[in-house]
Amino acid sequence: MILDHLKRAGINLVASLPDQWLGDLIKQCESDPSITHIKLAREDDGVGLCAGAYLGGRKAALICQNSGILVSANALGGIAFHHQIPLLVLAAHRGDFDDNQYYQMYKGRVCEPVLEAMGLPHHVIDGPEQLSLIEDGARQAFLSRLPVVLLLRRRALVGQ
Amino acid sequence: MKRVALARLVKDRLKAEDLVVCGLGATEAAFKAAGPVGPTYFASDPMGLWPSIALGLALARPDKRVMLLAGDGDLLMNLQVLATIASAPVSNFRIVVFHNGAYSSTGGQRLAGGERLSFATIAKGAGFGWALEATTEEEAGRRLDELFSRAGPALLDVHLEDEPCPPVPAGPWSQVEERTMFMRALLALDGKA
Repeated sequence: MILDHLKRAGINLVASLPDQWLGDLIKQCESDPSITHIKLAREDDGVGLCAGAYLGGRKAALICQNSGILVSANALGGIAFHHQIPLLVLAAHRGDFDDNQYYQMYKGRVCEPVLEAMGLPHHVIDGPEQLSLIEDGARQAFLSRLPVVLLLRRRALVGQ
Repeated sequence: MKRVALARLVKDRLKAEDLVVCGLGATEAAFKAAGPVGPTYFASDPMGLWPSIALGLALARPDKRVMLLAGDGDLLMNLQVLATIASAPVSNFRIVVFHNGAYSSTGGQRLAGGERLSFATIAKGAGFGWALEATTEEEAGRRLDELFSRAGPALLDVHLEDEPCPPVPAGPWSQVEERTMFMRALLALDGKA
């Protein structure tokens, strides 16, 4: 379960904005008493929240769709990267070969090139067998003082 | 009321163990002139994100009072964050808005919304249990006492004179260095540094 990997990474504060593929994960965050779950209305507020939590010594993660990465470019570059503040982003990787909607496709096309242009580490999680990358990604983030973005494919989030 | 007068009113009510997140530009200049009390994180660009940063700090340190000093243009850029704050378990989080109705560091352009803009009304609409305005120094002092005496999240919107403010020049420390110093100051408060 994704939430177990987050907990093992020492993360007990999560800020989220929903996506169809993220429904189960957000429900788990809501109902787990050991997790503080904060409802966002815009994804870059999650970057700010995770950054502020780090200033206070608490590890946090942002859960959103990959379009939220695009929205958050300014926050990731100007806050997380510029202040060298680590955080973990778990993003539904919409718009790639495993998606089925016209208006999702641009997200799959531009998200990774944008992350590369920003110099931000990112990894794609293809399926449930790779979920330990969540702990690895968190370790990389907190050791490198950088945000690390994990892009989760449909199979990793909803099975089929 | 001038913005330095408001910064002094806030300062007079802060304790050494309170954590402050301070908006950039004119708000930063005013609070630096008043003189920070405890650990203070001074904002950089991008504007609009400091309410969520202060929220994260408040969530990480429920044992401390966390105060955000927000410039009005900064807050206006990202109003939906008020709904996120209102829904969060942060009784230790309070916001004071430095509201002069203008982008002071960029030449005094007036804010959208003009004279009718009320952050207290917006905050209440976003779910804040306590959000009020103040216009005079006497009223601001009284309302600040109320702000500190009740549980957050709470917001005080203080109307100020429209004074110009030249851009704040780069100081000796980069944001990474300031970030490290802030975190060390927090450790020192905890007796761990």
